[in-house]
Amino acid sequence: MITLTNIQHTFLIGKKGQEKKVPVLKNVDLQVDAGDIVAIVGKSGSGKSTLLNAIAGFLKTDSGSIKLNGIDTTDLSEAEHAKFRLKNVGFIFQNFQLMPGLTAFENVELPLKIQGMGKSARFQVVRQIMDRVGLNEVIDHYPNELSGGQQQRVCIARALVTKPSIILADEPTGSLDSETELEILDLIKSLNESMDITFVVITHDEEVANSAHKKYRMHDGELKEATTSAV
Amino acid sequence: MQFRDQIDFVRQHVKKNRMRIFTTILATTMGCAFLIVLASIAFGLQGTLKDEVLSSDSLTRIEVYDGGDQPLDIEKIAKLDNISSISESYAMQLDNIQNKATIGANTGYAESSFVNFDALKKAKLPLSKGHYPTTEDGIVVGYNFAQNLLSKEDEKTLEKAKEGEKPKVGIQESVLGKKVQLKWTGKKGTKPVIREFTIEGIGPKPKREWEMNTYLQMSNEAKQSIVTDLKKNFGKAFNEKEMIYKSTAVYATDLEAVPALNEELKAMEYSTYTVSQQLEEMNMFFIALKAGLIFVGTIAILIASIGIFNTMTMAVTERTREIGVMKAIGASPKLIQRLFVMESAYIGIIGTAIAVVASYIISFTANWLIPKILYAATEEQSFNSSAIKFSAIPWELVVIASVISIGVAIVSGWRPARKATKIDVIQALRQD
Repeated sequence: MITLTNIQHTFLIGKKGQEKKVPVLKNVDLQVDAGDIVAIVGKSGSGKSTLLNAIAGFLKTDSGSIKLNGIDTTDLSEAEHAKFRLKNVGFIFQNFQLMPGLTAFENVELPLKIQGMGKSARFQVVRQIMDRVGLNEVIDHYPNELSGGQQQRVCIARALVTKPSIILADEPTGSLDSETELEILDLIKSLNESMDITFVVITHDEEVANSAHKKYRMHDGELKEATTSAV
Repeated sequence: MQFRDQIDFVRQHVKKNRMRIFTTILATTMGCAFLIVLASIAFGLQGTLKDEVLSSDSLTRIEVYDGGDQPLDIEKIAKLDNISSISESYAMQLDNIQNKATIGANTGYAESSFVNFDALKKAKLPLSKGHYPTTEDGIVVGYNFAQNLLSKEDEKTLEKAKEGEKPKVGIQESVLGKKVQLKWTGKKGTKPVIREFTIEGIGPKPKREWEMNTYLQMSNEAKQSIVTDLKKNFGKAFNEKEMIYKSTAVYATDLEAVPALNEELKAMEYSTYTVSQQLEEMNMFFIALKAGLIFVGTIAILIASIGIFNTMTMAVTERTREIGVMKAIGASPKLIQRLFVMESAYIGIIGTAIAVVASYIISFTANWLIPKILYAATEEQSFNSSAIKFSAIPWELVVIASVISIGVAIVSGWRPARKATKIDVIQALRQD
């Protein structure tokens, strides 16, 4: 499902001409099977977000190969990557990244619009997904009229709406209180079971990481498998 | 993304930044309207001058003059193709001899000439009433000929009339079939020459309201006896060579045949004059004038384009995070670029549409108001009519201005749109 082989990446930091090379990903190998929830845990600056960006294709790594759903995405162009993401990958962001000018419904609808789906077909799919994540009551609300938990549900619904096989989640509970955090984790787990979606979750929260099928620890750009939790 | 959704997307963003977009549209409108109104002056004046030329002459007519040593060979000319008729006419310009026309108690000066009625008939030159005479006694008069013949009461009425007042004088009813007496009077002691004719045809109505056609055309057959009498009665006071001007006109079968026929006549070393020749020269001048004015107007649009560029650059900067999210969830760089180019095109299209409407309003107002102001200032009758157009906006001008305006708007939005496609997703998602 997701195969990373020997991923290496270096950031150049400092003034022009006096840049320092800082390695952020060091020979990272990762194998994620279909239907798994994999958590990557680590401190700030450990390189976990960089790894997620590399998987998503937002970042071209210095070396190594990335295979998603059996397709080598390492050398895809920006446009090809975008097309691939639109079909296969959903995103859950820490700060939700909702469009402030769009209602909850319109936010969820956005990927389908980009796909070019017709209005009536869109309406049915969006209503179904919003119902699935428990957002039926707030479809016409704007993001600033929603609670943190509701906003994250909208974000999850937007990630789900194109029926992707992979969802990449960057600190999905980072902006939520502990009670809402549990709700969102439960939702992720139930979606994983019912829709057979593979989740890669980046977190610094051990509790969140422990709820995954597999847990990896990122430290100074190196990825190591940690103890597997029983979900 | 479906086209309808793209339009919705653009409209949503326009709504969000109403004030900024409004001012940018306003600048585009002003630039485009300036271009249209400026160029419309050239179109208006060209139209007016063209009408002027066309109203005074027949389009199929080619005036032919002998080329100095080369006298006109009518028989040779007649052998050319595409000639419907050749008309030789003689205009009278008499010094010290008065030529008056009289119908009943009404009298007036006559602008007399001798023409070939048969040739005019063949050239299909229209009459408003009657027909071309077939006998020596028949004449054709201009449309306003009868109004030029005044009775004694008419003269008194005119004397009493206040300045600017235009009382109805002359013969108002139709003079077709009426007898006209023509009288040539010389110095005291000479015997006048008197002839009587019947009006068999009345010339076409002038295209201009203020134009007065008061001519009187006699047949060429009547010329000889009148000239003989004028010579006999007035002696040296009548000089035929200086007072009677001959002109020859060749009428082409249709407008398309005029240029070729004109060339053939020139090849025979004759001098020629045609209305289309004059129109062509006039058109060349106006093409240059229009191009110049459109160029000046385009500068105004280019200035407005700076506003569009700024607006679009700000839009891209403000929406960096939004663009990042769109790219993250799978929007291609092409789609992002298209959405921004569409937004600048939207500004261009709305601005141009308002400009076109505004330009028509300005043009109509100018055509209505300027003649009134000029008439009030100069009391020149020709200004007090709808015939003079100071501004005209044909559809070609609307198309040219729209293409320039919308084209410039799209080009102005191009660079900001390219910038949007290059936004880094990671950086964009980090923005608050």
